[in-house]
Amino acid sequence: MMKKRTRYDLLIHFILLSALIVVILPMVYMISTSLKPNGALYEYPPRFLPSIREVTLENYRYILGQGKFYINFCNSIFVSVAAVLITAFVASALGYVMARFEFRGKRFLFAFIVLTMIIPGLTLIIPQYELAVKLRTINSLEGLIPFYVAWTIPYSTFMIKGFVENVPRELDEATYMDGGSVFTVFVRVIMPLAKPGIASVSIFNFLTYWEEFPWANTVINDNMKRTLPIAISGFFGQHQFTQWGYVFALSAFSLIPILLVFIFCQRFFVAGLTSGSVKG
Amino acid sequence: MRISNKSKWQIGLLLLPGVLIFGIFTLYPILKLLIMSFFQWDFKSIAGQQFIGLDNYKEVIQDEYFQTAFVNSILYTLVTVPGQMFLGFLVAMLINSVTKFKVGYRVLYYLPVITSWVIASLVFKYVFNTEGLLNYFLANVVHITEQNVRWLDNRWGGLTVAMFLGIWKGIGWNMVVFLAALQTVPRDLYEAANVDGAGAVRKLFSVTLPSIRGTILFALVMLTIGGFNVFTSIKMITGGEPAHKTDVVLTWMYYKAFSAGKFGYSAALSFIITVVLAILAVIQFNLMQKKDG
Repeated sequence: MMKKRTRYDLLIHFILLSALIVVILPMVYMISTSLKPNGALYEYPPRFLPSIREVTLENYRYILGQGKFYINFCNSIFVSVAAVLITAFVASALGYVMARFEFRGKRFLFAFIVLTMIIPGLTLIIPQYELAVKLRTINSLEGLIPFYVAWTIPYSTFMIKGFVENVPRELDEATYMDGGSVFTVFVRVIMPLAKPGIASVSIFNFLTYWEEFPWANTVINDNMKRTLPIAISGFFGQHQFTQWGYVFALSAFSLIPILLVFIFCQRFFVAGLTSGSVKG
Repeated sequence: MRISNKSKWQIGLLLLPGVLIFGIFTLYPILKLLIMSFFQWDFKSIAGQQFIGLDNYKEVIQDEYFQTAFVNSILYTLVTVPGQMFLGFLVAMLINSVTKFKVGYRVLYYLPVITSWVIASLVFKYVFNTEGLLNYFLANVVHITEQNVRWLDNRWGGLTVAMFLGIWKGIGWNMVVFLAALQTVPRDLYEAANVDGAGAVRKLFSVTLPSIRGTILFALVMLTIGGFNVFTSIKMITGGEPAHKTDVVLTWMYYKAFSAGKFGYSAALSFIITVVLAILAVIQFNLMQKKDG
């Protein structure tokens, strides 16, 4: 009996590992291509891995030797971090009020905010572009931030409201007894206790901003104000043929923050993903 | 609890930033879009827009390019949504049944999800290139195809690559969502099924799937919206080429707005898509509820 169970287990591990290899193959190929000398990228037959003697860091040296990519990197960091912080605060405030207080129009406001999640974000790009022109935020890095925040408010508020509802109301009451105000409860009770939830929402928002392409590509033209996804896509169309080695070196470089966030915040990831899905 | 005046002020102040940002950057554009969709609004008429009623909507629906893009979006959704749900569920079941390396599998299977669309699209474009690795593998290693397949320069090839990418990128999300759902299935239901002598397949259909129905619905609705949201992969992989045959609704909308300057047309298109998605969501909810009773 025991033996059969082990063999069955091994079979499942075998299936999982084989499928896993297929799943991560494209990423491995990306890294391996970025380590090939640029000349070898057009050789036929193509090879999955470079030979040991061929392995080179020249693509990375080129990318890291160009000042503009550091600027692109910093641009991405600036926009993403600022948008994450603002959204975290704004959506927590909304989520807190929605979870704890009754006022006229509340149900409508909440339903409306949540329902906008159904609208494909990009469909609003025309009036939003017009708005950006009016507000003179075309070609402005800071100008990206309010749009990013607005896009993620519905999801973030929806999630954080759920997390706030899990914070026991008795803690609010106790703070009011001690003479605390609505603000005190928000800062001393809700924010600290809903922190894991707010963190998981923020991680998702960070990923969203970090990789955002269509909007930034539409409103930012200035080379020095580009974010990383725009810089990566900028390799196309400039040259007659694409320097894939550079493309993938820069891609790998831009994945580093994402991987760091992912590795260090693994537990928040799962919390954020699942709390919305298994309630129903 | 009675709300004092001071509290009312503070509640208002807490609501203010969110409502303001949402109002200016989301609500205003929605209303503006609705208005634009009833006007002749393009590069030529930028000075004086003319009210034309439903003409933009008519133009969109009768436009062959839109019809192609719409069919492409539907096909993309019909293939990628069940594809990634099935594979994600399968992986979740397998991971759920082992005792070791659960976390490791979960992390690694999730990697494609956190890879950005731009990067993933470029990798796929490179792999599926006519002289690329996949063709070499198919023609010269396993000898399935006689010569190199031209994936990227025709409608079905281009869509196939985008669909592969969509499924590949979605498996991890489904895996995590279904893994969490599987852990909520009450153990005694399985024990009862064992007592009744139910086999693995029977348990899957009588216990597991009915228990996680809520999650299936959640995934179905989210992924359907996601399917119609596809933009970056098409834009990067084929750019709609050849002759807009691989365009999906959003890439076509974008082209009409920013390359052809037809803002009114694109606005009408956007509303049509939103309405279609709302109807689909309602249908999906109703279908799943019916299975209930």
